[in-house]
Amino acid sequence: MFKVRMADAKFLKDMISAISILIDEATFDLTSDGIKLRAMDPSRVAMVDFEWQKTVFDEYVCGEAMKMCVNISEMMKLLRRTGKDESVELSLDEKTGRLKIAIKGKYTRTFNMPTLEAIEEEVPTPKVTFNVRAKTTTEGLREAIEDASLVSDHVRIEADNEKMVMQATGDIMGATIELKKGSDALLDIEAKEASKATFSLSYLSEIVKAAVATSDIATLEFSTDMPIKLDFKQPKEGKLTFYLAPRIEVE
Amino acid sequence: MRKLIKGKRKGKIVGQVRKPRVTWKDNPWILQLLDDPSLSADLNYIADDLVARASGVAWGKGLCVACKGGKFLCGKTRCPLVVRLKSYFRTFPLIRGTDVDGASPPGVFVGRIGYPYVYAGPLVPPVHEDTSLYDLPELWFGKSIDEIVGFRSLLVRGKHRVHVKKFEEAGKIMDRTRELALSVGPVDVELALKNKPRRSFVLDDEVQPFGPSAVIRDLSVSTSRWDHQIEKAYGDTDLKAAEAVTTLYEKDVLVTKIQRAFSVGAFGLKNGRRLVPTRWSITAVDSIISKDMIEKIKAFPEVNEYRVYESHYLDNRFEVLVMPRAWSYEAMEAWYPGTVWNPSGECVVMFSDWEGFDGRTTYADVGGCYYAARLAVGELLVKERRQASVVVLRGAHPGYIMPVGVWQVRENVRNAMRQRPLKYNTLEEALARIASRFQIPLERWVEKSRLLQDALFQRRITEYLKG
Repeated sequence: MFKVRMADAKFLKDMISAISILIDEATFDLTSDGIKLRAMDPSRVAMVDFEWQKTVFDEYVCGEAMKMCVNISEMMKLLRRTGKDESVELSLDEKTGRLKIAIKGKYTRTFNMPTLEAIEEEVPTPKVTFNVRAKTTTEGLREAIEDASLVSDHVRIEADNEKMVMQATGDIMGATIELKKGSDALLDIEAKEASKATFSLSYLSEIVKAAVATSDIATLEFSTDMPIKLDFKQPKEGKLTFYLAPRIEVE
Repeated sequence: MRKLIKGKRKGKIVGQVRKPRVTWKDNPWILQLLDDPSLSADLNYIADDLVARASGVAWGKGLCVACKGGKFLCGKTRCPLVVRLKSYFRTFPLIRGTDVDGASPPGVFVGRIGYPYVYAGPLVPPVHEDTSLYDLPELWFGKSIDEIVGFRSLLVRGKHRVHVKKFEEAGKIMDRTRELALSVGPVDVELALKNKPRRSFVLDDEVQPFGPSAVIRDLSVSTSRWDHQIEKAYGDTDLKAAEAVTTLYEKDVLVTKIQRAFSVGAFGLKNGRRLVPTRWSITAVDSIISKDMIEKIKAFPEVNEYRVYESHYLDNRFEVLVMPRAWSYEAMEAWYPGTVWNPSGECVVMFSDWEGFDGRTTYADVGGCYYAARLAVGELLVKERRQASVVVLRGAHPGYIMPVGVWQVRENVRNAMRQRPLKYNTLEEALARIASRFQIPLERWVEKSRLLQDALFQRRITEYLKG
């Protein structure tokens, strides 16, 4: 038995949209405490770690723990139909294996879609010691990444205790974006040691663009030539964290 | 503001002398060549028969005039125009007057000039024999450029002006052209032309070369049997064109046959049918089929090792690198100095285009070859039920004296994929092999290649999961 309701459908839509940028088929862990998902993109360059406590929902019923796998882009198609002030209800029919999505607003529509065979594989999170921890506004981070995307397809992020600098070098143009501690964009920064690492901008910008709708504050953690952890603070009890592997250019 | 600029410039425009029209289209050296009595006697040449033209790619710069096909100043190993002239003068005596009577392979050609009003019509050689080879690139691999130009030059192209959407009402010439296009084998055709067919020497990289052309006066086609599968798709006016293409391909209909029917508007919903210029239809069909294959490939497990597939034909070297990663694809081309698209350069010119797991939404800069090679690569992965990241590296050398059509890429890569691959445990070993097959340093390929850069530099998150 799995049945949940959310008064604001947009909340669900934005979250599913954020997950959909990395994965096509998502296997959710459903327990009596809430729902969870941890998965890598097909290229295994990035990972999403998502969790919603049952308190995020206005109504949450889940009998025994189970896994539910759905095609995220198909689900997105349906959720895209939700409008302002509409509520959404998800329920799983265990006999037929179909997920029912009821959107209620000016009128009620009920979609149903198939679930897929769940992947049993458990993915651990990366084991990395992070030397830098930076707190930014999600909007500020998005702007900075968009700037860098103009000139290149990858960006080097450098940080010390005072600032975070993004350096992008393209074939013909270059860009330096500096975020100073205490500015509107960079709220706080701590560095055990000065660090720098390079990341793919196509991943970074997709991630941040999608997360902006769900979160105002982002926490970046990274170390020299190690994966970056981007945690997007959720308004309710839950988490949305991305990990992205670095680009290491051997000379 | 705008007015001001206009006013300022006015004086200049009046003062400008209009330059005489550039006459690069007329190829002076061919005419000179033909003035040489020994040669023209040899070729049995009649001055009226020929309109010598070249696209101006290589011979706009006066090189040809100085060379006259004898010194290979352009860097190619042989003179492409002389090769064409030779076969042209072999064809010409076969055509008497304004009628061509022969067995069409079958072949049709739909031009793209003037779209949506295009010239469509059959390709008819002045011979009665089994001509099916003449318009079936699937059978051409391994043949020399002379052989191919030889039989292609025999194909006289009849032209009939038609609006691409109104071809159903365009009359019997169009109806018969379509009938011909759907035939399963060679068909006897009587082609009555308005003038004696003339030859233009035009270079084109996507369409296989063909012989002289003229506007059609009348066309008669003897009864022929249609390809059963294609006829079914033709009769189904509720079947979308893309679905028709993929269904036929899955039923083992040759790509060329699908493309030929596609170009004469034989597929699609009733009101959506239209003629498609041959050169566009080739790429459209390659693209539709390979796109469909990619959707399947994305669900298969990854290959287990790095592989290199190789092929060399018509002085085009192909090295196909298959990597154990999620589906992505890149096509790279290196044109050596002296080749068609790099006639006067001193260094190798490189092009590249790629797509990631989610595909691409814009037309690849590399052109039709991108999709032709993608089809050949997809065929192997679907057959093996495997997923991979694939980079197709192509080196075009000066021995590739003229473009013969996209089929060369499709069949060359298909040939590569038929070979037993070289297998490697590391990317470095595979790249070392590839580098040894080209004169271009590996760094230059990497510099231009998005996928090679990704493979070499982009780490994966899985490397960090164990503490």
